[in-house]
Amino acid sequence: MLPYLAKCAAAIMSSSPPIARQAFLHGAIAILPLSLAVAPWGLLAGSMAIEANLSAWQGQGLSAIVFAGAAQLVAIGMLKGGANLLSILLTTLLLTSQHLLYGLSMRPVLSNQPLRWRLGLGFLLTDEFFALTSHYDQQQFNRWYALGIGLTFYVAWNLFTLAGIVLGQNIPHLDQLGLDFSIVATFVALIAPLVRNLATVVCVAVSLFCSVLFSYWHWETALVAAGLLGMAAGFVCQKFTGGRP
Amino acid sequence: MTWLLIFAMGAVVFLNRYAFLEPRLPLRLSSNARQFLGFAVPGMLTAICGPIIFLPGHQLDLSPLNPYLLGALVAVALVLLTRSVLLSMLASMLIFFLLRSWLA
Repeated sequence: MLPYLAKCAAAIMSSSPPIARQAFLHGAIAILPLSLAVAPWGLLAGSMAIEANLSAWQGQGLSAIVFAGAAQLVAIGMLKGGANLLSILLTTLLLTSQHLLYGLSMRPVLSNQPLRWRLGLGFLLTDEFFALTSHYDQQQFNRWYALGIGLTFYVAWNLFTLAGIVLGQNIPHLDQLGLDFSIVATFVALIAPLVRNLATVVCVAVSLFCSVLFSYWHWETALVAAGLLGMAAGFVCQKFTGGRP
Repeated sequence: MTWLLIFAMGAVVFLNRYAFLEPRLPLRLSSNARQFLGFAVPGMLTAICGPIIFLPGHQLDLSPLNPYLLGALVAVALVLLTRSVLLSMLASMLIFFLLRSWLA
């Protein structure tokens, strides 16, 4: 998968018109900080796979094919605990259902793209990708910029997974180092600047409270339920105050 | 078995991501729906962080000395003060790992 992608990237660089190439590079640069910050999380995904007795190829395959950090870690944990295929798939479906929302939100800019762009950018639609591209409207949206973001993040995620696999084979208990804090550090840095009005404060507060409560209750839908409630609370608050988003 | 799982998981995640990008799906977004979706970034990203901060190792930890909580607060302060995403991420991670080794 990785050599193939490197070839793709090289082909993009050489065959596309200069404006597209520039937009691709701008996207790649825009996602660079987040690609570096995902390192601890990628290390965790790689090393946990090894600790759960998956082969190195299977550990890498998870990152290359599934490409969803939280779902990968939970699936590895369930596999270790002896869960069956169907329950792991159902959990994956629920855990990654926020992507339905991202797809819905990106629909105005992505649904009118040609099929191969929809499939490609759809595959690359992660939390981070969404955070960096969701505020563009139809005029401003550039698919090459979006591809630069998505592909760079994909390559980084897979390289860090590989590093985790190599380290996991040599250093035990990488999962007890608190590497998951990197997700908090990244997302907090993305959210905090957005909190500029009462509606967003309400949205964040409700979402935070509900996510902790529902997770404490072991709901499998905890994250998406909490997120939806937070969004609804923000939306209602905005309707009442008449403020801008 | 494991490979089957990996490919099936890939298919499930991809379907979640692609479903609403399909133009043949008869669906138009109202202005209310768009406003609602405008809260997707703060709402969803916060929900992902919540349990990591307050349920480390699946144990509820509401103590003010919880290193995840302190690290998150440092990250908020840094990004609001410096406006630099990269700097606040790196600095808050460093502080988190220091706090963790002191408070553990």
